[in-house]
Amino acid sequence: MLLIAACGLIYELIAGTLASYLLGDSVLQFSTIIGCYLFAMGIGSALSRYIDRGLAYRFVWIELLLGVIGGFSSALLFLAFAYTQGFQLLMYALVIVIGVLVGLEIPLLMRIIRDRYHFRDVVAHVLTFDYLGALGASLLFPILLVPYLGLVRSAMLFGIINVLVALWSTFLFAKQLASVQALRIMCVVVLCGLGIGLAQAKRITIAAEDNIYADEIIFARDTRYQHIVLTRFKDDIRLFLSSHLQFSSRDEYRYHEALVHPGLSAIPAPRRVLVLGGGDGLAVREILKYPQIESITLVDLDPEMTRLFSTHPMLTALNQKSFSSPKVHITNADAFPWVDSNGDSFDFIVIDFPDPTNYSLGKLYTTAFYKAAARHLSAQGLMVVQSTSPMFARDSYWCIAETLKQAGLKTYPYHVYVPSFGEWGFVIASFRDYRIPTSLPHGLRFVSVDGLPALFQFPPDMSPLPMPPNRLNDQVLVRAYDQDWKDISH
Amino acid sequence: MSTSRRQFLQSASAALIGLSIKGDRPVVGTFVNDSFQMGHQLRDRASFSQPKQVAKHAVVIIGGGIAGLSSAWRLHKKGFADFVLLEMNDQPGGNSRWGENEITAYPWAAHYVPVPGLKAIYVRELFEDLGVLKNGQWEERYLCFTPQERLFLYGRWQEGIEPAVGLTPADRDQFRRLEDRIHEFRATGKFTVPMEIGLSDTTADLDQLSFADWLRAQRMDSRILNWYMNYCCRDDYGATTNNTSAWAGIQYFASREPEEKGPLTWPEGNGWIVRRLLERVGSFVETNRMVHKISRRGNGFSVLAGDTEYQTEFIIFAAPTFLAAYLVEGMAPLHDFEYSPWLTANLTLEHFPDSYGPDPTWDNVFMESPTLGYVDATHQSVRSHVERTVWTFYWALADGLPSENRQLLLNKDWNYWKEAILHDLERVHHDIRKCVSRIDIMRMGHAMARPKVGAIFSAERRNLAKAHGRILFANSDLSGFSIFEEAQYRGVNAADRVLSQVAGAHGPTH
Repeated sequence: MLLIAACGLIYELIAGTLASYLLGDSVLQFSTIIGCYLFAMGIGSALSRYIDRGLAYRFVWIELLLGVIGGFSSALLFLAFAYTQGFQLLMYALVIVIGVLVGLEIPLLMRIIRDRYHFRDVVAHVLTFDYLGALGASLLFPILLVPYLGLVRSAMLFGIINVLVALWSTFLFAKQLASVQALRIMCVVVLCGLGIGLAQAKRITIAAEDNIYADEIIFARDTRYQHIVLTRFKDDIRLFLSSHLQFSSRDEYRYHEALVHPGLSAIPAPRRVLVLGGGDGLAVREILKYPQIESITLVDLDPEMTRLFSTHPMLTALNQKSFSSPKVHITNADAFPWVDSNGDSFDFIVIDFPDPTNYSLGKLYTTAFYKAAARHLSAQGLMVVQSTSPMFARDSYWCIAETLKQAGLKTYPYHVYVPSFGEWGFVIASFRDYRIPTSLPHGLRFVSVDGLPALFQFPPDMSPLPMPPNRLNDQVLVRAYDQDWKDISH
Repeated sequence: MSTSRRQFLQSASAALIGLSIKGDRPVVGTFVNDSFQMGHQLRDRASFSQPKQVAKHAVVIIGGGIAGLSSAWRLHKKGFADFVLLEMNDQPGGNSRWGENEITAYPWAAHYVPVPGLKAIYVRELFEDLGVLKNGQWEERYLCFTPQERLFLYGRWQEGIEPAVGLTPADRDQFRRLEDRIHEFRATGKFTVPMEIGLSDTTADLDQLSFADWLRAQRMDSRILNWYMNYCCRDDYGATTNNTSAWAGIQYFASREPEEKGPLTWPEGNGWIVRRLLERVGSFVETNRMVHKISRRGNGFSVLAGDTEYQTEFIIFAAPTFLAAYLVEGMAPLHDFEYSPWLTANLTLEHFPDSYGPDPTWDNVFMESPTLGYVDATHQSVRSHVERTVWTFYWALADGLPSENRQLLLNKDWNYWKEAILHDLERVHHDIRKCVSRIDIMRMGHAMARPKVGAIFSAERRNLAKAHGRILFANSDLSGFSIFEEAQYRGVNAADRVLSQVAGAHGPTH
């Protein structure tokens, strides 16, 4: 009794959790799912009156069905989210089917055991255990199941419990059952299925990604432009774009402070800032530490990305709601055509694109692109470019620096250590001379006035290499980057 | 249940579940830019109406392809304005015409110009005018983006079109020997772009045998090497090595010394150059003006086109030269001009095929195919994310007799060619039918001059090329083959010769 009640609630919690992770807006998801679920339970209870013979037989069947449907529900929902547009429809269908089955459970059980006890006791017993089970499930779910098993495997585990209940019932109600053997065989078959499912759950989640994402996936979406995955392990949230790590919440402040402050603090009175890429709002968070800045234009290709980082509570906590600032203007556009067509000028330009892993992204690291971007620099303007790792991708890093030089800019390369990335490099580029700033905004955790000069020193293992520039018609950078990372993995 | 109702229910339920029905897309399209009807009127000596008006110009340019437009560009640049250019079609550009839809502009034929060498002075001058060459630097955005070319062979793609995988030591040896020979030919300075500059009688014997025979004589019998040679000849000349003069085959390789990773290309191919030229000389161009008769009139000519008689002192005949025999009164038939029939198609893709591979590539060639593959029109976009695109599919009907292939082009309907194109693409992209929503097809009976055996040193060709009268020929076929640089050279050259005569007749023009 305890168990079946727990199972029922778990499926509901899983649906609610999955929906809020995948779709966001947890209040809406949970309340609609609980509503649907309770309503479906009502339908189940109402339907129970039409079952008048073979109560125990039907009960076993219901448990079995619950085991299968509930057990695979989470895996099915993940797959539906990844490969179809029908996630919500499937989710509510599953919630309703499970709700109807759970709604049938209790009345049937009461009727099966009513001959053994007084009606008064039957009601008391069944409902007590029902509510106890619910309490257990609601505590187990967030404390043990989600952190240790994840959603897919939790569902399967409880599917198994449902089937075990069915199997147990075949012994308990053996006298009332006609074909006990067949039912037991069925139970074992389903158990095996769920067992295999449990063992393979990692693969089911999202086939190829499990090798990459060591932690629990709390958000996954294929947008038109990329695959966004958020994972969480304890308080560490990580963002992956098309399988490439973008940040870890534990040390992203190092990256984003280093990206913004060495450049921005060196500009006397910056008013207008342009951020290309940076759809996570973390660079903008750092830029907002300069009260004199009047406007920040952020150009990011993917509206899903900027929406996610404008709305998801966990993520807006991370970027300190930087996208809600009235100074911030978000444009969802392809950066190169935007830079070509826009005529504004900026005091500081942050270029924070994903690494040049393919020729399409590589276009954003070419002399042609940097020339086009530099046309937006004001007289005192500086730009800073995320430039991969001078340690792991040394050729690539110095290739980017050379490309900026060939675009007619003076370059000031520097690097920082970000534990989740390793040594990471940036290049400040401008038409004017750059001087390391002597004051910084208050409250920085990593970048300091005393520490700044050291960032511009490169030890011998990261020192400059002669590289050709990356050009649209000869994208040496993508090849170098590919080779750099191949060398690392060998 | 009626079909439409079933379809409705299918699509409604599909929409409901959100799963699209994974089927082939319906493909629409038509033949476009057909101009053979007009050409056949000339061939069949149809009767044309009498002119209703007279227009007088010192110079009439006939034909609005690269040659004619280059004549106009030259005349205009030299300050000469008393001329008109008559184009038969409603769109100028000839083999450099282009199209445009809501996704991108795309070429209808010629789609690139190799980075010109120092001898192609007129091409360099033009590109300086157009901002393609600035202070000795080629504009990065007009050079073909990485990755440029790939070849599908043995079930996979390789970078570059010259086969590099699966070569036997014998294949490698032959490629190396060919490279050595080409290097020797290049060093002679007799194979140049434009060809007229280096052309020397000492190479005439190479024009007396086919490229295939020459390769055999060099003991170059590698199947792979011969495929590649054939591909090159089909691509530039619309002919197989059997039907290409060895001189022309060697010219293809020996005439170029790239100084920059190219070629130069634009979404609409060489249509981009036409557009820029039209910005400069478009006001001199009259379209839908098919010339149907040219006759002597005093010292000059009477040119009949549509309802107008153009009275002129000079003619620059920039249309395909073989047409002159049908138009110019009293001109003897021509024998040495042969042309390759071509088919090009522009395919609209709603998305790239899953089988596409990681990096969108500009030129995509299939080894075991009679076609020349396809070029991606959105490749020269600076966008980093492209969903819909247009592919320009090239098919030189090189095998067999040109006249029979012309009949084939005319007789088969759109559906036949659509299927042929999709079948060819399916060799490589099995899911292409799920991506393509439109296929427009352009048929060209006389697309390119074919440098068959003897064509380069043909007395007829050479005499017409240097004819120094009041009618000057300017089409690229006067070089024996149709490439941009030759057309531009001939056009500029004809304009200069007109200008020198005008100056002689009238004194300085400004």
